[in-house]
Amino acid sequence: MKTISQDLRKLAEKLVQYGLKLGADEIEVTMYDGREFNVDVRLGRIENLVEADSRYCALRLFKDRKVASASSSDLSQSTLQSLVQKALKRASLTHADEFAGLPAPARFKVTEDSLKLYDPEVAMMKPQEKIRMALATERIALQDKRITNSFGASFVTNELRTVLVNSSGFSGEYLQTYCSLSLGLQAGQGERLVEDYWFSSKRHLSDLASPEEVARIAVERTVRQLNPKKIKTQNVPVIFEPTMTSWLLAFLFSCVSGTAVYQQTTFLAGRLGEKIGSDLLTVVDDGLLPGRLGTRPFDSEGVPTQRTVVIDRGVLKNYLCNTYASRKLELPATGNGNGRGVVPNNFYLEPGKVTAEEIIRSTRKGFLLTRVIGHGLNQVTGDISRGASGLWIEDGRALFPVSEVTIAGNLGQMLQNIELVGNDIHFESPVCGPTIRVAEMTVAGK
Amino acid sequence: MTSKKIKAKTRPHEFGLEPADLKRILSLALARGGDFADIFLEYRTSLSILMEEDLIKESSESVTLGLGLRVIRKDRTGYAYTNDLSEEKLRSVALTASAIASGQTGQKLPLRFKHLRSDKDVSQARLIATSRPLPEKIQLVERTYRSALNHNPAIKKVQVAYGESLQYVRIINSDGLFVEDKRPLVKLVVMALAEKDGRRESGFCGGGGRVGLEYFERELTPEAIGQEAAKEACLLLEAADPPAGEMPVVLSPGHSGVLIHEAVGHLLEADFIRKKTSVLWNKLGKRVGSEQLTIYDDPTIPGFRGSYNFDDEGSRPRKTLLVEKGVIRGFLQDGLSARLMKKEKTGHGRRQDFSCWPLPRMGNTFIDRGEYDPEEIIRSVKKGFYVSRLSGGQVEDSGQFTFSVTLGFLIENGRLGRPVRQATLIGTNLDILQKVEMVGSDLDFGWQTGTCSKEGQDVPVADGCPTIKISGMTVGGLK
Repeated sequence: MKTISQDLRKLAEKLVQYGLKLGADEIEVTMYDGREFNVDVRLGRIENLVEADSRYCALRLFKDRKVASASSSDLSQSTLQSLVQKALKRASLTHADEFAGLPAPARFKVTEDSLKLYDPEVAMMKPQEKIRMALATERIALQDKRITNSFGASFVTNELRTVLVNSSGFSGEYLQTYCSLSLGLQAGQGERLVEDYWFSSKRHLSDLASPEEVARIAVERTVRQLNPKKIKTQNVPVIFEPTMTSWLLAFLFSCVSGTAVYQQTTFLAGRLGEKIGSDLLTVVDDGLLPGRLGTRPFDSEGVPTQRTVVIDRGVLKNYLCNTYASRKLELPATGNGNGRGVVPNNFYLEPGKVTAEEIIRSTRKGFLLTRVIGHGLNQVTGDISRGASGLWIEDGRALFPVSEVTIAGNLGQMLQNIELVGNDIHFESPVCGPTIRVAEMTVAGK
Repeated sequence: MTSKKIKAKTRPHEFGLEPADLKRILSLALARGGDFADIFLEYRTSLSILMEEDLIKESSESVTLGLGLRVIRKDRTGYAYTNDLSEEKLRSVALTASAIASGQTGQKLPLRFKHLRSDKDVSQARLIATSRPLPEKIQLVERTYRSALNHNPAIKKVQVAYGESLQYVRIINSDGLFVEDKRPLVKLVVMALAEKDGRRESGFCGGGGRVGLEYFERELTPEAIGQEAAKEACLLLEAADPPAGEMPVVLSPGHSGVLIHEAVGHLLEADFIRKKTSVLWNKLGKRVGSEQLTIYDDPTIPGFRGSYNFDDEGSRPRKTLLVEKGVIRGFLQDGLSARLMKKEKTGHGRRQDFSCWPLPRMGNTFIDRGEYDPEEIIRSVKKGFYVSRLSGGQVEDSGQFTFSVTLGFLIENGRLGRPVRQATLIGTNLDILQKVEMVGSDLDFGWQTGTCSKEGQDVPVADGCPTIKISGMTVGGLK
């Protein structure tokens, strides 16, 4: 592994030197070296088995405040050098932008080890063991007679080395692992089918949920939807399960991204310091949480990651900026850079004190949202409109499943209307949160 | 560095690999008892240009070079890929992919390979974008930008993105097939943001396909694209909140094709059929919808985004009848599903790139024209919802689907009324197909900008339909 790292670093350094020699003012080169394993099993047999390793190079250069970028999966010297030459030529044909450029050199405090990004157990795990776990997960689920078909179970592992070198003197790298176990199921007969899935994904094998747990939750989630009803259109409190809070937060992320803010394509532009949500709402982006999926020592531009409080008890405190957005907005860069745009690190809603059960129990009448389909999210207005299924809650209990409805609301209003925040946060994805209850949304049905 | 690699540098799309090299790798892949093996080689260059805030802000070029190798044993697939095309690496890829098979030497390779090239090219590119100078493309972007910005003083921000790619593929399989093809693709899209009295709305438009740059002079000008996006944004400034509940819905021609993509297309993909997860798996030859519904998928329409000369397994695609007068007549087949189901391939095995194995996918999906005059369809609705612009949709195997309306109109007493913004329509496919009451004579296709996602793989697609009336559908709005 050491030699791979040295090779990649050398290649990146050489390309940086080459760019400078040809006349670039600044240049940044990133090398990726990844290894992927994926097994899909279905109905007790292996369906697909994938193993691969691949490398990839991305570069960006600046000349007279003009920028051009390139990437390649062909790492031959001639291809990479020709990409640099062409990028310089393209840059000369675009417009100068006073905000363009690499970040100022940063000093590093974080050591890769303290972030716990890499698990040798994942890297060394035998294919047979991965296959066994996938098979076991599906087998346990299929023992439940209510399950009528399977979409299959998958076990995935990834190992990725990232090396970043730029002409301002930055040179850094990190190695990370990822593993996940997932299962999709179908229940019901004839034309009345329901489906759902469950998964666990982590950086460390020892943190991953067991086949029993993944199977049990996948079964529960699937069968609880059997024999759904359609309900009348009405405005009710809506409870978001953690996986549903995740998409809501992903939408919130796109609305607090510095890129969207300078482009004025978010309803949260120009509102720093304003109370935009309920007191219960504290949202953080943290790239330094040890072992979490969104953790990394530095972003795609070499800016160190950090803990950024985005919303503090309802008050909008920070936008998440790459270097370009930070210069445009005269705000600090937050270590969220990703090529041209921004990405979340660990972007999460701080958990509250109540349990998910207590949230349900305290709901007199409402809709427990468990699945959404469709893409009706409008960042410019904050409008949300998606297809939904869930459970109808009355007097603190789930009465019957509901399907083929839509939920509609506006993120701005919903943030104000968050009235309960659960304590059940699981960090199964970089963007996550606990169960929450929103005071009122439109659930449209009959 | 081997001599092969040096050759790869001079003519990248030749990959530096002779057919004999590939055959050797294929034999190795079958040595452990596979029934079938294929190699997919890809060399693709792409370019994108972005304009916002009056500046051409960035251009980006990317090169994709790699090889994917698949071994099939019964219904199991072993897959491995690499972007290192050295002999040593390819041998290890062949061994990895063949790990799913075990036992005796499998299929023998044929002695002669059938070498296929496209005789009639579905791509209509005269001025292939990748071979044109950059300033020409920048000009297209600037023209689009200006026309959107200058359309109306309410337009405050505009973003234009141009993208092009040229993909060379070479496919060789153990049935003795050897295919080479070249696939150009262009896309020009714009977002216009309008603002009035503190309210902001955005509008979109775009065009492209498997065409050359001449398309933007002859078919759809940058000015038309820019103005259309600006018009939509301005109209939305005046739009009301959408209604909520069940009501008659009329779908506009062209854009609404995404409905058929979601509600029917995905559920007729043969992998979902053979796994019996699609609600339509046992419906071949059975009536599932209104007599007026006839649906095709046709990847051979010249210049369209979802068209190709060969699919990603080297099969020639054909116009495939999916639904005839409401009766299911066919599925979208790739090689694996066709073999397991003992059906003919339809040439719908597609993949995102060399790192992915093929899946049954759509190309250009559409509802065929019907008998009704579109005006008459709208006139027939007393109170309902007219869907003008859609941004996308999603479906589950169980048949529940949604699609997102960015711009709609209320229908009152047979006439279009006030514009309405942001709503989601939801339904289950078997229910909706039966509720198709009228199909118009005005078949049209949406913008050539669509991308379809399945199991993490994105492929370009197009869809179309005439004006359609659905007797009742749930509109997810606010009121």
